[in-house]
Amino acid sequence: MKILVPVKRVVDYNVTVRVKADGSGVETANVKMSMNPFDEIANEEAIRLKEKGAASEVVAVTIGEAKAQETLRTAMAMGADRALHVETQARTDTELQPLAVAKLLQALVEREQPDLVIMGKQAIDDDSNQTGQMLAALLGWPQATFASKIELVEGGLEVTREVDAGLEKLWVKLPAIVTVDLRLNEPRYASLPNIMKAKKKPIDKLTPEELGVDTAPRLTYVKVEEPPKRQAGVKVADVPALLDKLKSEAGVI
Amino acid sequence: MATQLRDIRPTPSLLERAAGAVAACDTFFAAAKASVGAAVTARGVDAEQYAAHGLAWVKVYVESLREMHGWAERLEAQGAFHEREQLILGAAFAEYLARLAGGLPMSQGEVIRPQDLYLDDAAVHAFTSDPHVADLMLTGWTAEAKTRLGQLIEDGDFGNWGLDDESLDMIRDQFRRFSDEVVKPHAHKWHEQDQLIPLEVIEQVAEMGVFGLTVDEAYGGLGMGKVAMCVVTEELSRGYIGVGSLGTRNEIAGELIQLGGTEEQKQYYLPKLASGEILPTAVFTEPNTGSDLASLQTRAVPDGDVWKITGAKTWITHAARADLMTVLVRTNPNEKGYKGLSMMLAEKTRGTDENPFPDAGIDGGEIEVLGYRGMKEYTLSFDGFEVAKDNLLGGVEGQGFKQLMATFEGARIQTAARAVGVAQAALEVGLQYAKDRKQFGQPLFAFPRVHGKLAWMAVEIMIARQLTLYSAREKDAGRRCDLEAGLAKLIGAQVAWSAADNALQIHGGNGYALEYEISRILCDARILNIFEGAAEIQAQVIARRLLG
Repeated sequence: MKILVPVKRVVDYNVTVRVKADGSGVETANVKMSMNPFDEIANEEAIRLKEKGAASEVVAVTIGEAKAQETLRTAMAMGADRALHVETQARTDTELQPLAVAKLLQALVEREQPDLVIMGKQAIDDDSNQTGQMLAALLGWPQATFASKIELVEGGLEVTREVDAGLEKLWVKLPAIVTVDLRLNEPRYASLPNIMKAKKKPIDKLTPEELGVDTAPRLTYVKVEEPPKRQAGVKVADVPALLDKLKSEAGVI
Repeated sequence: MATQLRDIRPTPSLLERAAGAVAACDTFFAAAKASVGAAVTARGVDAEQYAAHGLAWVKVYVESLREMHGWAERLEAQGAFHEREQLILGAAFAEYLARLAGGLPMSQGEVIRPQDLYLDDAAVHAFTSDPHVADLMLTGWTAEAKTRLGQLIEDGDFGNWGLDDESLDMIRDQFRRFSDEVVKPHAHKWHEQDQLIPLEVIEQVAEMGVFGLTVDEAYGGLGMGKVAMCVVTEELSRGYIGVGSLGTRNEIAGELIQLGGTEEQKQYYLPKLASGEILPTAVFTEPNTGSDLASLQTRAVPDGDVWKITGAKTWITHAARADLMTVLVRTNPNEKGYKGLSMMLAEKTRGTDENPFPDAGIDGGEIEVLGYRGMKEYTLSFDGFEVAKDNLLGGVEGQGFKQLMATFEGARIQTAARAVGVAQAALEVGLQYAKDRKQFGQPLFAFPRVHGKLAWMAVEIMIARQLTLYSAREKDAGRRCDLEAGLAKLIGAQVAWSAADNALQIHGGNGYALEYEISRILCDARILNIFEGAAEIQAQVIARRLLG
């Protein structure tokens, strides 16, 4: 079984994001970037499937500027075998949108013919949570989203999903798309020997044009703003005063 | 009304001013070297210890600034010399130039003034009136600069290290996370309960490849060099000095064997050291022999197919748990100096809490210490402890001191990186407290003397880091770097202590409580000025080298 793992380079989750002065987006210049945490979990799961003998090859793919190669290198230092880099100058947190990404991935799936695509349920920059679902629709493949457990069963996968009501089990035939949630696994650290090995693993470069995909955005970002500052609260004298405020001011009872 | 004339000369850029100031520093150092050199020639280095050691410290400051300038130039070339880094550079120059001109602290209470270096007013005036020096001293570290840098580090970005290498950046990221998740949450408990670092953690460190980092690939290591070692060491030491120091013993044992061992010794021991299968410890110091190693007394006598070791050793880190001791012994009693010394690769059985030293002919006792716990310190007594005949390092007697000296560069660099990591831990803990603690209606961080302290820590940590990385690059390039490594270790230890002290001050009374991490970091920081060459002997070695 061959597994494709899309990974995205995003602002590091430890960074306090700042909105650009012109309101066009968040500041990404001179900001620490790293692999989207959900994609790290997806990559870890793919590597574990390979270590169990269930998969033969793990191919990491990213779409983004030249520096996105660092993210592929990290994926390979964790254990992916090789990588694909679709290079684009578009800002991946705003201009390159889920449908375009899904189409690019569709083209890559057609080239690579994987049996399984495992990816993060969403990226922590645009929080779209759409790409996996769109990719499944474009390919006509079954999808299992928000996976918290993946087990190989005869002819496919049994995927446990985290849904509002609790846990749901799905059975999907391969090839399939799985998007992963936070509790699926704890990604490993890349060790020094594996970081050295990753330097020698190949990265194939591609462009959206070569893949025949129009990546023009369908949505326009109007304005990005900081969340409003939290307003100071008030102290109430007693319960009747509280009830009064809840009725007359907050309007919640 | 007269027309106001504008100055239309192009202002020298910060980098140009820094370059000019480094040139002025070189002139200042040359003058100091000449005047101190004359005094030392006339009265000897011991009588002129203040002047000679002062000269070593002048060198520390001059090389620090040179490296900061080099760091800034590299960032500029990468298009990464931004405001945060500009402020750090300006601050480093302003403060260090002022210290050179007015007095530099070798320790608290020992400030070297120009007159201590026998510099006349003309030399000092030439230095302070250099336009670049004068300008940087005036503008580099103003109250505004302190507040602005404070704002810029508030979210935990303390400036670009300038590694400019994808693999090194990745190594740093991975070890930063490892340290934050596997080390830091437990470090304080290990310290408070005076525990050995759990073996599972040591196994994880081994799996990460730390112990084989600088061992040759031919002997099962990674052959990665000292820059990578510095990055790994700083991040691990930031989590806990004990974990950052695990690799020190491997570094020393590995280098001893790699540089001084026979082919058989290399093939047998290096792969086991690299994998972490055997934990080594360095057994050099004796109760009466610290910095003056050449006079040590522990004897090894040939007896059939073994050497029998007899004598007392002390300050042996991780001794109970170690599987291999590199023991410096006297094999030739007729040779009283360093020429009579040899290095033994002494295997021992790993001890447990109940039975720390199970082998015959060796016993030990724990030395209780302020900080730097996690591996524990021991005194060892050898009474006919047997070492296989073939385990004389290199197979030739009388090479011990030379073999040991060959490892000092690497060990000093590693120690400098440990110091930077401890300093960074202090900065991060101090920053967190300053943001969390509110007084007079605002976080402590809002007060200039709180964020200013933290901003200065970030500046000095970057200085120590850049000097450390420089010595590592020199070592990796195959150049002699005992001087550079010594300078880095001196400044690193001072910076770590100062950062820990200031971060504790920010904590106020809480910092004095054992339950707060900073109390441990203060204790941990204190060792850095003592081990791997105390600050005074370090300055002495540097001064000799400079004047030699």
